[in-house]
This record gives sequence, structure tokens and C-alpha cells, in this order.
Amino acid sequence: MGGTSSKLPKDLLSEYQELTFLTKQEILLAHKIFSELQGRENGPYGSRVSMEKVLTLPELKSNPFRKRICHVFSTSDMKDGSLSFEDFLDLLSAFSDSATLEIKSHYAFRIFDFDDDGTLDGRDLEKLVNCLTGETDDTRLTAEEMRQLISNILEESDIDKDGTVNLSEFQHVISRSPDFVSSFKIVL
Amino acid sequence: MAASRIMERFSSDDKDEDLIELEAIRRPRAVKFDLTRANREDLEAQHYHEPQHSNALQRNSWSSSTQRVLSSMPSRSIKFNQSTALSRSTEARRRRPLSIVSPTHCSTEQDVFREQESCRNDVTQNEEMLDKLQDLSGAESVRVLRGMPLSVSEKRQIRALIFCCETVQPLSANRDMCCHQFKAWFLKDVCGCCYGSVSQKKSIQLWQGVLKNISAHFGTGVLSYFTFLRKLLYYNLLLFLITGLFLVLPQLSNPPSSKNKSAATDDLWMLTGMGILTDSVMFYGHYANSTEKNCKADMKLCPENYNIPLAYIFTIGVGMFITCVMLVYSMSKSFGKSFRVFKTSGNLALKVFCSWDFKVSKKRSVKLQSVNICTQLKEMLSELSCKKQKRNLCSTLGWLSVHFIVWSICLVCIAACMLVVYYLNPNINQDSSKANSFQKAEDFLKLPLVVSCVSHLLPGFFDMLSRVELYNSLSTQIYVSIIRNLLLKGCIFSVLCYYWLKKISVRKNPETCWETLVGQELYRLVLMDLLFAVSYIILAEFLWGMCIRNITFRRRKLQFDIARDVLELIYGQTLVWFGVLFSPLLPAVQIGKLILLFYFKKTSLLMNFQPPRKHWRATQMSTVFITLLFIPSFTGALACVIYTMWRVKPSSDCGPFSNLGNMFLLGKEWIKDLGKSHPNMSWLSWAYNNLVDNPLFLFITAGLFLAIIYIHMQVLDGQKMIIARLQEQIDNEGEDKKFLIAKLQALNETSAQHHPRKCRVYSKMKRVYIHIPEEYETSSAFQTFGEWDHGIVVKDMNPYLTQSDVHNYFEKFGTITECVVTFDKSSEWPKGVGFVRYSSSEEAKAAEEAGPHCLGDFRLRISKVLTPKLSALNRCDSQLNTPPCQSFQTDLCVT
Repeated sequence: MGGTSSKLPKDLLSEYQELTFLTKQEILLAHKIFSELQGRENGPYGSRVSMEKVLTLPELKSNPFRKRICHVFSTSDMKDGSLSFEDFLDLLSAFSDSATLEIKSHYAFRIFDFDDDGTLDGRDLEKLVNCLTGETDDTRLTAEEMRQLISNILEESDIDKDGTVNLSEFQHVISRSPDFVSSFKIVL
Repeated sequence: MAASRIMERFSSDDKDEDLIELEAIRRPRAVKFDLTRANREDLEAQHYHEPQHSNALQRNSWSSSTQRVLSSMPSRSIKFNQSTALSRSTEARRRRPLSIVSPTHCSTEQDVFREQESCRNDVTQNEEMLDKLQDLSGAESVRVLRGMPLSVSEKRQIRALIFCCETVQPLSANRDMCCHQFKAWFLKDVCGCCYGSVSQKKSIQLWQGVLKNISAHFGTGVLSYFTFLRKLLYYNLLLFLITGLFLVLPQLSNPPSSKNKSAATDDLWMLTGMGILTDSVMFYGHYANSTEKNCKADMKLCPENYNIPLAYIFTIGVGMFITCVMLVYSMSKSFGKSFRVFKTSGNLALKVFCSWDFKVSKKRSVKLQSVNICTQLKEMLSELSCKKQKRNLCSTLGWLSVHFIVWSICLVCIAACMLVVYYLNPNINQDSSKANSFQKAEDFLKLPLVVSCVSHLLPGFFDMLSRVELYNSLSTQIYVSIIRNLLLKGCIFSVLCYYWLKKISVRKNPETCWETLVGQELYRLVLMDLLFAVSYIILAEFLWGMCIRNITFRRRKLQFDIARDVLELIYGQTLVWFGVLFSPLLPAVQIGKLILLFYFKKTSLLMNFQPPRKHWRATQMSTVFITLLFIPSFTGALACVIYTMWRVKPSSDCGPFSNLGNMFLLGKEWIKDLGKSHPNMSWLSWAYNNLVDNPLFLFITAGLFLAIIYIHMQVLDGQKMIIARLQEQIDNEGEDKKFLIAKLQALNETSAQHHPRKCRVYSKMKRVYIHIPEEYETSSAFQTFGEWDHGIVVKDMNPYLTQSDVHNYFEKFGTITECVVTFDKSSEWPKGVGFVRYSSSEEAKAAEEAGPHCLGDFRLRISKVLTPKLSALNRCDSQLNTPPCQSFQTDLCVT
């Protein structure tokens, strides 16, 4: 571990510790993994890792939401889902043990909001359910089932009856499931 | 007869601009104008109550203008907490995709407008937030900042802003600054230390890698078993440390001077706890009853006043107390996390939003997980669609009788087990004079063998029975099986306790310590439990799993029964907590057992099991388990321990408490002595005499506690009521919003329809503009009424446009005879509505058809209108006010 810790300047490290939910060890581990992804070690700044490379991580490889995760955490102007080291830290911080329910549900909402419009509407929910059930034909719900499911979900969670689920309604649903905090985690 | 209907609407607040909408419903060769205001409301009401309409509060049915209004509602825009003004570039990136709601081409100008709005909002919000953060102390503000959903770079900028503002203020006083810096540095250092220790703790966490692997394969449910096991391990470690440090170590450091009992050599001493182990620190009998005799003067380690009996009683008490506190703490925490779970509505949404386990990362497991979720969703949906089919009387009776039979079988089994355990006991202890030591050991091992056998095999039998019962929900099935298992184990344990405390302790022949005997019994039970668990893993899981796979040639694997395994752990732990009184080193045995069990279970799990098919509510169940660990298990063991200390006479010739009526007497005597020997500690004995011994005090404290509990309950009730009220209010607001949205939609629909059947009259500044389908323009009704000019009404204009802008723009379509931009009378603010009069109908038509028009980034809405001729205006002034309008319409009706 000593070899990798020297790469990350001390002040940066402490800054990251302050601003994210990660511990020192986790940040160092993240840095190590990220520089492995980069292939060459030219510091954490400027260089981004493309989405394809990030998705080769074993923790993300078979996650159905992997592309959404990259898009949500990417700060790239090209909207290509590429991650800088800080984006990567953001990702890990949101998925870490000590992140609050608020943060987790916020990012979960944005991951599930496929068209980035600030609410979960019928189309978002349909995509979400398709992600959950997998893309193969035998597991997919039929159109009728999907319609019923979506109308039920909206009925249950759409408190203000405007036909979509917004962030606070989403958080309201989430708050009833204590398992969410423990399952919305990615451990490196 | 002319059959057409006029919809009329007066905007009540604005008398100058009366908008009269005429809706003409075309019938064959006939137009009827009907002046009813009520009808319109009818129509709306109809709209609103139509089933597909209320259902169609979904986006695709909305017009673009409704969408635009909706998307700019505050609840719709994710609050990216104010950071946006700090970083303009990221603002553009993040705001934009959120604000484009309607994919129509006309959203651009709305976007621009909204972006201005949002910028303004952001700036104010931003300042507020900065102010708020600056009010907090440094560490606190960083903590708040960390909890914001922003990226690292944004957080860094905010932090820089906070700190720069902070440093600007105290510049005048340099010393303050110095002090501040020192404080910041100090805080940082301390924080660093804390972080360091926390991260250290994280890395020390036992079995981190293994647990990660398990969760990647099996998800949170199975993981909860292993975390429970780890928690038990920590409890035992603590208990072991306490007893080891304060009891076993002092005893070891000054071994008893002369014990001439020759330990019988025993083949199976490891298993039975006899032989060498009988007279060791393992068991009660070995501990000396007072220090003075045993402590040799030359032993350095022996402190002068170390009183082993006192140490014994206090160590056990403190150990139990600390365990109790930790249990209550973790139980309350777990309750706090999961008490909301007991609400049952909203399951589908929960399932969809929360069921994905992001920890699972193995490809096969991911696939299985999605298959599972799919089947669960389908099941829930089918349940919803066919609801509950009502059972008739016959099937209800059958169902009840099945339950009754199964329950009675279970109870009979449990009773039989109790009897067997009870009658097995005396055999062992009556004839203790057996020649063959091996046979003796066998005798001793019979009871634990039977007990472990029963406690491992009966649950499986119960499971098979519960399959007959056909429970319709998984959770009821789990709870029923938990109750049965608990009943079984509780009964066996109570029989054993009864036997130990009632029979053994009052035996006539005191050749051995009965405490040691009980300790040995418990030791054997714990060990046998481990042996059975291991052999169960090997036989039932490895061999049986292999058989299933090879014989049936299916890829099916076993499923991990979390509830049963956790109950096993709880049972074992109960034995240990009770046994710690008789055998202080039992926690050490339990530690070894748990570690062994962990590795066996882990290996077996990874080789033989498949991820569970049903979703396991991990947090809820772990709350239940920790409660079970506390309520029957720990409290039961504690009650037994206290009973033993308080009521049962210790054996008279061995152990630390010989010659005493009960163990508590020692404590009492010590406290009495304390008052005499150490005058400065006399308050303790005073407190004891006046408070603990005094029933009045106990009554008062109990009464106080009851009052506090009562008050808390009342407060809770009040809060529940408030919550219900608030819930009602939210529901009402939801209804209101739904209603308003439906209204808005209806309004937009009626106003935006460029439908040929519609005709509108705009009356403005005593002028009338009539929008009417082309074919009626030449109809006799209009021709007879007067002469008309043609023009266009322009709506949705950029408010900053002036008359000349409009004139310049519309010039190219023909000769403009009049151009007006309207202002609100009271506020003098442009209304965004204008009128352009052309010299001929063709020019106006050309202007209308040349659209879409964009002016000043806004998309204009244009409608061609008729208006009385300019020359006729003055003449018609008095007539074209509202009342004349009506006469005009009634005229039309007549024709």
C-alpha cells in the first residue's frame, strides 16, 4: 500500500477524506484501481477513463444499471459517461457504507431517471422494470402486466397525483425500506 | 334552424378585455349560437370525470403547454443544491437535460426563460446556503457539505467560498486569525486522528473479504446470517475478555496450594469435560473460596486483597450487564431502522425501487436475481388482479383442521422431547460408580447427544409439516416456523434448567460440586451442538446436495434456510450465557465454535447452495432475530443466573461460595464490611442500606418509571395523530393538484385548439376581434351585420418587444393599417398580446399561414381575426361594448 499512497498528494487525500464518505484506505484503494484502469499513471487530474473501461470493473460488469451509473456520475462535457478520478470517488462515496440515506436515494433517483428530466414517469418506470427483470424474452413482463405494474406503482407512490414520481415521493417510498441502505452499496 | 353553440367567458377581473369564445358546433348547413356559461362547466366536469381522463394524468396525453407549466413546478426540478451558480459550465450541463421536458421543437424559448428563472433562483438559494454554512463551525459545515449530493469539485468550490468568506471577516484582528488557524489546525489534526482510528477499525472488521464474496453471490439476506454470527462472536469475545482478565488470570496466577484429588484419566475428556478438565479453571469447583489461604507470600502477581469470590460475582455481573447494554443498544438501533417496515401498503413500488441488490456482482447471480424479481413481480401482479378469492365454509374448515393437526403434531413432538430429556437425566447421575470409564463417558454423552439430535432434526420435520399447510405468504411461514422452533428450544432448555437447579443442586451425596456438574453438562451441550452442526453440514448439505445433483441431473441446489440457522445460533448462545456462571471459560469454547462454524458454513454455502429464491427482508428479520436474542434468550439466561445466585445454595465443600446460603450474601457482607474498613466508602453501604434494601424507595422509582413510560406513550399517541392529520393533508393536496392539472389541461386544450369548428370573439379596448372559420366569413350573418377588416391577433410575444418590432416583422406579409401591443392597465407590464390589422383578408391569411413565427426567441401564436372596419369603429363604439355584443349574438341566433 505504501507504493500507491505516495502517488496521491497528502493534502488532496485529506481533502477527499473531508469531502467524501470514504476512508483513507478506501481512497487509496480507489486510486490504485483507477490508475490500473488508466493504464498509465499520470496523476488523477485531467485524464478521464472511458465508460467502456470503467465497466470492465468486476463490481460493475454485470450490473444492469452500469451505464446509468456512469452517466450520472460523469462530469464530462461530452456526455459520454467517462469518469475522472474525482467522479470515480463520487461514485464510490455514494455507494459506500457510511453514505446517508438521503445521498443514496438521491443518486438512486437519478440513476432510475433514464431520460434525465427530473421525474420518474411511465417510460422511466418501464425501463427500470426492464432493467430489473433482464432483457431476455422469457423474463420480460408482457405489455399488459407492465401497464398494470406501472399504474400500480404510480398509485402507490405518486402522492400528489400528477402522474409522475418526483424525488421527494421517491424518497418517501425508499424510507419505508430499511434494506435499501444496505443493498445500495458497491464494495471495492 | 341554426344550430350552434357559443361558449362565452368573461374574464371577471379585466373588464376592458373581454374574451368571448364562441364555439360553433357545425351541424349540416346550420349554425347555432348558444349563450350559456353553465354548459361550459358541465363540459369540464364531464372531462374531468371521464375515466380515461383521470387515468390519463400521464404525460403522453398532455398538451405541450401543460407540460411546460408542469415541468417548471418546483417539485419537478431536482434540487441540485444551489451549487449551480458557482459553476456555470456544470450548470449548463446539468440543468439543460432536466429542463427539456417536452421534446417539441418549440421548447427553446421556454427553456431560455426558465433558465433565466432558475439562474435567479440559484443565485438567491446559493447565497442562502452559503450564509447557512458560514453560520456553522468549520467541522460542522464540512460535514453538512459532505452530505450534499454534489461532485467533489463542486464541493471543493463551495468550501473554498466558505473559507474565503470566513477569512475575509476577521482580517482586522490578526491574532484572532492566528487563533482561528490554530484551532482549525488542531481540529484537523483531531479529525485526522478520528478518521485514522475509524479507518483502522474498518480494516480490522473481521472477515471483510469473505463477507463481500458471500454478498456478491447471495445478496443481503444470507449475509445477515453471517453478520449475526460475527456479532455473537464479538459478544463472546467481550465476555471472555472480562472473565479472563478479572477471574481466570488471577486464579491461574495463584493456583490452589494442595488439591489431592487425583483426576481420573478419561479417554474422552475433551468431549465430556470430565477428567483433567474437571478440576481446572474451566469450571466453578476449581476456584478458591478465599484468597488468604492460597496466596503465597512470594508470588508477586498475587495482589494482597484480591478476593476471588467477590471477583467471581462481580465479573459475571458486569459481563452480563455489559452484554445486556450492548444488546439493548443494537436492538433499539435496529428497531429505529426498521419500524417503518411494518406498514404493508406500497409493496410494488418498494419492490421495484429497492429490490435490486447492487452488491451482487457475479454474472450468474445477477441473472438469478433478475429472474427472481421478475417472478415476484408477476406473482404480486396476479395476486392483485384476482385479489382474494373467497373460501367457502368447507374449504375453510379443511384449512383450519390441517392447521390444527399440524400444530398438535408439533406440540406433541415437543412434549415428547421434553419427556425424553427429563427421563434421560437421572440415568446419568444415579449410578456414578461404573467401572469402565468409556462407558461412563458414553453415559454422560447420551443426554447432549439426544438434545442436539432433537434440536437439529425436529426443525427439519417442522419444515416438512409446514409445507402441507400451504401458507400464502412467506413471512407468515417464517414466523410460524420461528415460533415452533423457539417453543421447542425453550421447552428443552427449561426442562434442563429445572433439572439442574432443582434436582442436582439438592442431591444428598455431595461428593462433587453440583456447579461443576452443571458446567460440564453445559460444556458437553455446547460441544455436541457444534459436532452436530458440522456433521449436519457434511451429511445434509455436502452429501445430500451431491446426491440431488447427481441423481436428478438438475442444476438445482439447496437453499439456505436463514431463519433456522440463526435460531441454532441463538440457542447455542443461550447455553453459553447461562453456563458462564458455572464455567467461566465457556465463552472461549463458544468463540472457537463460532469460528469453526463460520468457515464450515461459508465453504458449504459457496459449494452447495444457490441464492435464495424469495426476497429476504434482511433488516426486518435481523431486527426480529436480535429481539429474539434479547427477549427469550438473554433474559431467560439472565433470570436463571440470578435465580441461581439468589436462591440456590452453593455446594458446601468446593468453589468460591462454600459455607454460604447463597451467592448474593457474599455481596451483602462485603458491602457491610466496606463501611467499616474503608470509611470513605461508607456512602456505598449507606446507599445500599437505604436504597436497595428499602422497599419504599423501590416503589417510588418504579412509580416514577411507570409515569415516565405513560407520558411517553401519550406523546407518541399525539404524534401519531399529527402524522395521520398530515397524511390526510398530503392526500388532499394530491387531490387538489390532480384537479388543478386536469383543469389546466382542459383550459389549454380549449384555448390551443385551432379547430375549424371554433370561433372566438376578442373584444379589446372596445374593439371586437372575431376568430371564425373561413367558410363563415362570407356567410350572410356576418355580411349583414357590417363591414369587416382583417387582421391577426399575436399571442405569446416576448414581453420586451415593442410595437415597431412587431410592425417590422409583419410588414413583409402585406400593408399594415394598424399595429397594437397591449399593456396591463394596472401594472403597465406588457401582456405579450398584440394585434396587426392588414388591408385585405389575403394578407392576413398569408401572415397566418407563414408560421411558425419566431420573434425574439419566442414562438408566436397567431390567429386570423375579423374586426369592424376602422372607420366604423367610432360609430360602433357604444354598440360593441359587452351588452351590444350580446345583442349581436342574439341577432345571429335569430338568423
